[in-house]
Parts: sequence; structure tokens; C-alpha cells
Amino acid sequence: MFVPHSNLDLNTIFDELDIKSLEQLFTHIPKDLLIENGLDVEDSLSELEATKYFQDIANKNTSNMVCFAGGGHYDVYLPPTVKSLTMRPEFMTSYTPYQAEISQGILQVLFEFQSLVCDLTEMELANASLYDGATSVAEAISVAINKTKRDNVVISHGFNPNSKQVVNTLIDSAKFNLNYVELDNYLFPEDYEFSEDDAAFVVSFPHYEGSAQDLTNLVSKAQSKGVICICYVDPSMLGVLKTPGAMGFDIVVAEGQSIGTPLSFGGPTVGWFATKKDLARLVPGRIIGETIDNNHKKTYVMTLRAREQDIRREKASSNICTNQTLNAIGSAIHLSWMGPEGIYQVGYQAIQKASYMKTSLKEAGFTINNDESSLREFLVKTSIPASEVISLMGERGILAGIEYDKNQLLVALTEKRTKAEIDEFVFAFKEVNNG
Amino acid sequence: MVSGGNASSLPLVGGSPEPTIRELSRPGRRASKYPKLDVPEVEINHPAIKNEKAPLPEVSEHDLVMHYSRLAHRNFAVDLGFYPLGSCTMKYNPRFADFVASLNNFSNTHPATPSEFTQGSMEILSILEKYLIEICGMDFASFQPPAGASGELTGLLIIKRYLENQKLEHKTDIIVPDSAHGTNPASAKMAGFNVVEVATDDRGMVNIDDLRSLVNENTAGLMLTNPNTGGLFEEEIATISSIIHEAGGLLYYDGANLNAIVGVCRPGDMGFDIVHSNLHKTFATPHGGGGPGSGPVAVKSFLKEYLPGPVVVNNDGEYEWYTPKHSIGRMHGYHGNFLVALRALVYMKLLGKEGLDTLGSYAVLNARYLSSKVSKYLPLAFDEPCMHEFVATVKDLKKSHKIKAYDIGKALLDKGFHSPTIYFPLIIEEALMFEPTETQTVETLDDLAESIKLIIEELTAPGVNLSDYPKNLPVGRPNELIPAKHLTVHWGDFELLELTE
Repeated sequence: MFVPHSNLDLNTIFDELDIKSLEQLFTHIPKDLLIENGLDVEDSLSELEATKYFQDIANKNTSNMVCFAGGGHYDVYLPPTVKSLTMRPEFMTSYTPYQAEISQGILQVLFEFQSLVCDLTEMELANASLYDGATSVAEAISVAINKTKRDNVVISHGFNPNSKQVVNTLIDSAKFNLNYVELDNYLFPEDYEFSEDDAAFVVSFPHYEGSAQDLTNLVSKAQSKGVICICYVDPSMLGVLKTPGAMGFDIVVAEGQSIGTPLSFGGPTVGWFATKKDLARLVPGRIIGETIDNNHKKTYVMTLRAREQDIRREKASSNICTNQTLNAIGSAIHLSWMGPEGIYQVGYQAIQKASYMKTSLKEAGFTINNDESSLREFLVKTSIPASEVISLMGERGILAGIEYDKNQLLVALTEKRTKAEIDEFVFAFKEVNNG
Repeated sequence: MVSGGNASSLPLVGGSPEPTIRELSRPGRRASKYPKLDVPEVEINHPAIKNEKAPLPEVSEHDLVMHYSRLAHRNFAVDLGFYPLGSCTMKYNPRFADFVASLNNFSNTHPATPSEFTQGSMEILSILEKYLIEICGMDFASFQPPAGASGELTGLLIIKRYLENQKLEHKTDIIVPDSAHGTNPASAKMAGFNVVEVATDDRGMVNIDDLRSLVNENTAGLMLTNPNTGGLFEEEIATISSIIHEAGGLLYYDGANLNAIVGVCRPGDMGFDIVHSNLHKTFATPHGGGGPGSGPVAVKSFLKEYLPGPVVVNNDGEYEWYTPKHSIGRMHGYHGNFLVALRALVYMKLLGKEGLDTLGSYAVLNARYLSSKVSKYLPLAFDEPCMHEFVATVKDLKKSHKIKAYDIGKALLDKGFHSPTIYFPLIIEEALMFEPTETQTVETLDDLAESIKLIIEELTAPGVNLSDYPKNLPVGRPNELIPAKHLTVHWGDFELLELTE
């Protein structure tokens, strides 16, 4: 369908190649390998037919659920301005910017993305994106292992269970020990003692459960033993949260969906990765640098290429090639659109709304398990199984949260949720729990 | 020259450099506006909260829009011109797929939504699985891997887990052709295998004698793309398959070159046990300046329970998530790059049987035509019929005029084309690798060949300074040493460097 050739064109091509049919292109392929009667698939659809076909399937998803689910992906307001700029075809349909002279657009936006991520987290060097938050945690752990040549990883249990599964898949358990540390009253134990066998201290800020703590002391304790400290941060809260850099972290990673990407059923989103310059040569993925061209004009170019798989092959810092550039572009434009005041509002209003919701739930007789330490996300006890609560609330058009365990629901607020929606949640929550 | 691509009219804008968004920032300006807080405000005292505002740029919305639009104007793209970029399959990306991917029920669903509310999205993955396994000749697929390299790692972890379950842990060698993509050895290393390189023979195919000598009881598997990175069909694939299988190893298909064979032949029929495909290449989803992609992995039945999960299964008309019994685990935080997978399905539905049956044929037809034209000016690396791509070499011009593949690529940029892939595969001296894809017109292919002829005339003329090329673009050749040496990777860094020097 997207083949442009008319019969006239085909004649021209066939003449040049001295053939009479497409089949003649494949006389060198063993005959028994050729497909005989074509593929067993349906006939093509026109765009008009396909619109109905896909709209019908889309309608099998429940529409417009009011979203109280988080766990790393948040229903933050994404302005059409950001979306339409990100989806400009010059960005969207371009290739990796290996040819700097015709890729200054992508290169400069990625350079701005790296700089914005550094400024927001107080780090020195960011890469041009990884796949998502979960894979970024695993990549960061690999950097720490390569740097320290140690094989023990201290990792907080306070991560999205899916992220832990990704880490367990990507970090070879035959060679390295993943030492998961239980949270104590929803916080990482302040008295935890690190050892000189530890490669990394990996912690989420806030924890998956929604609680947060100032991690400065833990980081300095770990660093005194030569441990690389890795912070997985919720980027949409960085307008109000202390920065990982200020707390002393060596590497910052994030699930960047809430900055510049719709919820997208979880993908494509974007992984952020930022660190200090002394780890530069271990960083996975692409990095853009600023330089000059042969006329001394400001130019951007991919740099530190010797780390990458197409050059270093099996000695590369990671196998990543295709990344999430377009989503990183979305992050850069969204951050620039928000500005200091906007990103503050996004974080501050989420916390205020969570505070109002926790109060309402308590007044309705429910228990918030981490009331004091939580910010925008918290755990509420359910009287019936949490999974049933989610089902019953879902029928009322509310995505109530994520099942944390049998009788705990993880609820997240963003600046988008209104008082009316929160009140409706609490009302419905009461009804479904009291059966 | 006027072609369908009309390359010479490319509107890449030069002029003075565009400032950074930080340089456009002025205190007190802003683009964003949020509703007033509608709940009673309480005092927040929390040890994790800071007092100061984040140091982001402060710009008006119009400044923001102009800035990023002006940057877009400095970028080449499929929508602007021709990328004859070997190994990358830069075909036209149908706009209609973006429209479907932006439907609210697809794009705004939270990934932790329970399956009872996401039956539509799960149906998409289920239908796409059917198409993909039919095209590849496989039995089951997982959409967890978010890109090709992740798909490769997935495949290798499947091999590893499978061999462990068969108590064959001593099998630690993965054989990779010396012409393979860099991700192949990098992924094999990440999965904990030894990488063993097999040589390429004079015809450009796997050297069967060398392969036999490398295969032994330690062989875990072979990674291969067919057609290979030289654009040639591995005619001895049946022999290769039996050598590996007889040694108890598995055969992994790198789907980078799948576009050549869609509707022509299938990896599953060639003996491959595991296939990854790059939906952003073969199935026309936009590359986004380097990503996102999607690298689903398909396997034969006996490996079904090793797939990364959860995967979608249909249980009595209801779609459910299922984690395979011996699953290698998770390759992505949720369901892989779902909206990319959706776009790929849209493309497949628009092509339908008639389009998919002939997809590979037209891709090969265009490559064969372009190779015929280009070979009039540059020798080809192999004297064999090419599939969807071919490799030419500049080694003669290098000898006679010090012109390198790099220089041809740079000069082509001035003519309105993206450069072909250069210096790959690594085994070919001064390689230029061309992949036209099926979506280019005859005139565009003619134009490219004609441009190569003109470039060679131009660059071989006396007094030419090769490093002046390209001449007519927003910037010239970049100094690549400065950022590598001084790590100018943040917008404060370069100014600092200038101050200290």
C-alpha cells in the first residue's frame, strides 16, 4: 500500500534488472524456504474501515476512568502545546542523530533535556534517555558494579514490584547478590550499616509506598564505605522535593512518564539517568555534547561514543541502541513549559490534595498506614480485599489505585484531581468497603 | 534534478545558532497556568521537602513554541527526505497509525489498570501476536522488550534459562558472525555468555568450515540475521541450522533485516528457534530521533514457557495476563512499548494480505535497482544478488584521492540525502551501506545514484578540501574532540571551558 510504483515504474525497474517478475528476485533462495500461497492474514483495510476497526477495539477499554493509580506512572496534566511540539514530524520521523550537520534540532533538544535533568536533580551529566524507570534502575546498578568491582547490592524493598522483577531479570544473580532491605515503618532504616562489599545503595525517593525521608545521612554513611548511591526519584515531585544531588547521591534515575508523556499503558515512556562526571565513561546510552563546527559555530554532537555497542561491541557499557529520544524531547519541552512555578504547583497541589484525601478517609473511619511520612501517595486499609475494591470502584468509573497487598490500597494524587473527584472517591470507597 | 523526493529543495535552515531555552529565560515569565488549589490548604512540614524553587527556564509560551519549532527546522526526517540508511529500514511512517495511537482509550490508560478494564489494549497485543508469528513462522510472542537490543538480550536469556533447565550449564558459547551488529556481542556478554566470532567467506556469507570448527559441546547458540548485514541471503541456512542444532545449541534470529523477507520466506521455516523483530523498522513506526522502538520476541512452542511476561492469553473470550512457567522475568516495567506495538498493528492491517505478501519483494526490488545504478559509480562489496540492502566500497577512491566513505556521506548531505550507513559491516573496507526500502520512488533512487556520480566528480577535482563538506547546512563538520575531552554535556560546561582557555 505504501509502495509507490505504477506499472510504468515497474517496467523501468524490471528492464534495468532484466527480469520479468518479482519472483525472479529470489531464484538464489532455496525453493523449499519460499512461502507458497502467501501469508495467512486478512485482507487490507482502508483508513475508513480501520478507523472503525480500531475504535471498536479501543471501546473495549473502560473510558475516562478518574485515575488515583500511581506507582511510578502519574496522571499529570500534559498540555497540548507540549504534545504537538513533541510530535512535530521533524522530530518524530527522524533517525538517531549520527549525522550532526542535519540533526542539530534533535541534538540541541536532547542537550537541553540532559541539562534540564541535571539542573532539576543537581547532577552533572545526564544521558539522552533509557527505556523506562525500571530498566534505568538496573542500568545504574550495573554502573555501580563496574565502578566498584564489588558484587553485593543493597536495595530497598520500597520499589514497584515490577521494577524489582526487572532488576532481578537484568542483574545476573549467579554473579551478584541483590540484598533487599525491608522498610521499617515505611522508611529505610536509618541505622542500616553498609559494608565494604557493597557496590550500590539503591533507594526510591519517595518509596513506592509513598513515604519519603531525608536520605542525606544514609548516603554519607554508604559513601564512607565506598558504596555508589543510586536514587530513583519521582520527577514530577522535584518542584518540592529535596534534590538527590543535595542529598549526595552519585546516580539519579527516574521513570520520566509524568514529565512529557501520556500514561500510554506504560509504554513508550522514558528512563532518566544522571550522574557525576567521574562516572562519565561508565554511563549507558547516548550522550550529547556541545562543541563547535569547522567555522567555530556552536554545534551539538553525540559524544563519548567509545562506550557504545556499535564501537565497543562486547566491551560496551550497555547493549542499548534504540532509546526513548522522542519521550525525552517531551520531557524537555514539558519542563520548559512548566517552569519553576509550574513544577512547584504540580508537586505542591498533589501533596495538598493527598492531605485533604487522607483527612477525609480518616474521618470516614479508614486507617492510613503511613499518614505522617507520606506525601502524594499513601496506603489505605481496606475492609474487603483491595482487588475487589479496585473492581467495584472501577465499575463506578474510578481507578482507585494499585493493590499493595491483600488489604492495602496504594492511592496516588496529582494536581489534576479535583475536590469533587476526591469526595466522590471517599463516598464510593465507604460504600464498597461497607458492602 | 526533480524527483519525488525532491531532495535538493530541502528546507534545512541555517543562519546563526538557536540559543538554548535557558538563554531565552527571563525571570518572571511563564507558559504554564494551573487551577487554584480547591482543597483547604494545610501547612506541610516534611523532612523531604525543600524551600527553594527548581531552577527551570522561565519562558513565555510563544517563545517556547518558536524555540522548539525553529529547532525542528534544523532536522532531517523521513517526512522531509530520503534515508538510504543500511540496516535501519527508514521507510515512510503512516500518519494514520499516529492517529490510532492517540485515541484516548489507548493513550491515556494507566498501566496498572486491571485487565477487566483494559480488554481492548490486550486484544491489540493478542491480534498483533497472531500477525507477527505468522510473518515470522513462530508460535508465541512477548511484547515486553522495548527495543531491538532488549529483544536480543531477551532471546539470549531464554537460551540461558532453557539450557539451565536441561542441565546444560556448560554450554556458554554464543557464536556471532564477524559482520554482526554491535548489539549482538554486547547483548551476549550482558547475558553472561562467551562471544565467539565466526568468519565471513569470500562470497559474504557465514564461512561454514569455520563454523564447524567453532561448534562444540560448549555451543549454546548462534545469533544470525538473514539476510545478513551485507544484504545477502545466507543460502546455506539449512546447513547452518543443522550444525547448531546437532550440537544442542539454539538458533537466534536478529530481526534487524526482517523487511527483506516479509511475505517471501520465514525465519521459523529456516530453523530459527527465537526471533526478535524491530517494529520501528519493519513495521513502519516512527524512529523518534532514536527511539522509542519495540523489540518483541517470538519463539517456537518448546520455548513458550520461557518468554518474559506477563503475556496476554485468551481464556474463554476474556483476555488475561499470564506469566510463563519458566519465564526469564521482566524486561520492562509494564507491558513494553504498547503504543509502538499498536502502530505496528495498524500498519499491518492497512497492508493486509496483499501488502504483506509483497512487502519483502518490493523492498528487495528497490535495493536491487539502486545497487544496479550505484554500481556504475562505486564497486559493490560482493558480487551476489542483494536483498533489501547492499554494500558498496570507497576503497579505490581512498587509494587514488584520499576520499573516504565518511566524505561521500557528508557530501551527500548537501544534496539533500541522509548519508548511507558508513563503516558497517566492519569487515568491509570503507563501506557504504544502502537500504532504500519499498517506499521510495524510481526518481528518488535515480537521483541518489546521480548525486553519487556528481559527488565523485566534485570531490576528485583538483584543489578540493574534503573537510569543507557539507557546505550548505546549518552547521559544518563538528569538532568531536572537545566534548569527549572536556565533557561539555551540560549548558554551563562550554562557556566555562572558554573562560578557562
